[in-house]
Amino acid sequence: MKNNQLWVKINGSNYYKIFTRLNEIGISIYDNKIYNDFVLILTNMQDYEKITKYLVSYDCTIYEITGLKKAKRFFHKYLIFTIASILSIIMLILVNNMIFRIDIKSNKKAVQELVKTSLLKYDLKPLRFKISHQKIESIVKKILDENKDTLEWMEIEYQGLIMNVYVTEKIIPEESQNRPFCDIIATSDAKISSMNIYRGVPLKEINDYVTKGDVILSGEITYNDEVKNRVCASGEIYGEVWYKVKTTVPFVEEYIEYTGKNRYNFNVKINDNKYSILKSRIQNKKLEETNLYKLNDFEINLVKEREYVKKTRILTEEEAYNKALSLASEKINLKLLANEEILVKKVLKKEVNDSTIYLEVFIATKENIGEVRENKESDLNDSGNNKQNSE
Amino acid sequence: MKNLHFREYFKNFLYDLNDFITIYENNLHVFNYDKLNKLSSDEIILTIQNKKVLIKGEKLKIKQMTKQELLINGKVIKVEFVYEE
Repeated sequence: MKNNQLWVKINGSNYYKIFTRLNEIGISIYDNKIYNDFVLILTNMQDYEKITKYLVSYDCTIYEITGLKKAKRFFHKYLIFTIASILSIIMLILVNNMIFRIDIKSNKKAVQELVKTSLLKYDLKPLRFKISHQKIESIVKKILDENKDTLEWMEIEYQGLIMNVYVTEKIIPEESQNRPFCDIIATSDAKISSMNIYRGVPLKEINDYVTKGDVILSGEITYNDEVKNRVCASGEIYGEVWYKVKTTVPFVEEYIEYTGKNRYNFNVKINDNKYSILKSRIQNKKLEETNLYKLNDFEINLVKEREYVKKTRILTEEEAYNKALSLASEKINLKLLANEEILVKKVLKKEVNDSTIYLEVFIATKENIGEVRENKESDLNDSGNNKQNSE
Repeated sequence: MKNLHFREYFKNFLYDLNDFITIYENNLHVFNYDKLNKLSSDEIILTIQNKKVLIKGEKLKIKQMTKQELLINGKVIKVEFVYEE
């Protein structure tokens, strides 16, 4: 019954007259609210039709519909909006569950191709629906089983619409690469600070000084002065290495200052080639790109062009000194790899001229000083013969 | 009409009444009236079984209304039959 009810607004200030009239035409009223200029009555649809038919002297409108009728009326009123919303949600769900790109994280093209073809075999390619984690695991297992000799490890994960495939290639052991005998030698003059030996015999100890070319780890395993076995020595040898760095810095420094004038442009990137859509009117500019759309090798970017002017300034002696010092550090830092660092930094010489400052800086670093040196075939043969003779 | 009222129908069935008026606190329920003759804030006249019933009160309003029943809300002072001469 309640589904069929609706609130009707009847304009008129005489409540009693309206109700008497409603009574005359036999209207059922389940509730009512009285206001100064109008009356709200809760009635049913059939009675509302009667009201509009017989109560012509009053202005009657539907104020509110309750229950199912209200929902029906809402959907009818906002039909296009409702359909568009439902379609959008469906599209969003579809797009969210699709793979748009597959990124194979491997440096080797051969491995990438191998993984790509293997994934294709299991119908994993762009514009396909994402599959469950369990299925992925089983596919990964199958691919790894099929490529036992080439692939060591593989993992697949979704990152939004991209499917990232992490692959590790199987590394063939050194023995099978025909490197039966090798030493680890020092790459520069240094003081050994730490040694991690995986294979081989150490000929030096921690805190020993070595010169470039000295054998630190030997691949010859000896017992009672007799060579028992030859291996390829491996290990990490860290040592303190010393540098003398010379830097000159002028007192006049050039820098850029942004004028605050910005222009926006678009560019299209296809296979690493960029094409600007609008003509740029700024000569000296710095570009800041924001990606708007990306699909495989096709990109559309919003480019912010920031205009700048080149200016010069005179550095104080202290500023120039600090700059020279940091430049010296930077020079050394460029050589350093992970786990390597600058230990000590000392200025040996400082010369100030009219226009430049000259520094000589002593820098001590912690570096991996070990390098594998393969022994020649002849060496091996010689040593082999010696061994036979000794037998 | 919701809650109008099983109890009253049942009573009617038991007492075999064709029409009745029940007064609650600030509410007056009329069952089986024929016509609403007059409606104002202090006076309502109804016809029940060819007899006119006058309801006097203050701030009288119709809360619910169907062809058979009326629920009047307000301060009811007096309910009486009106005999026309």
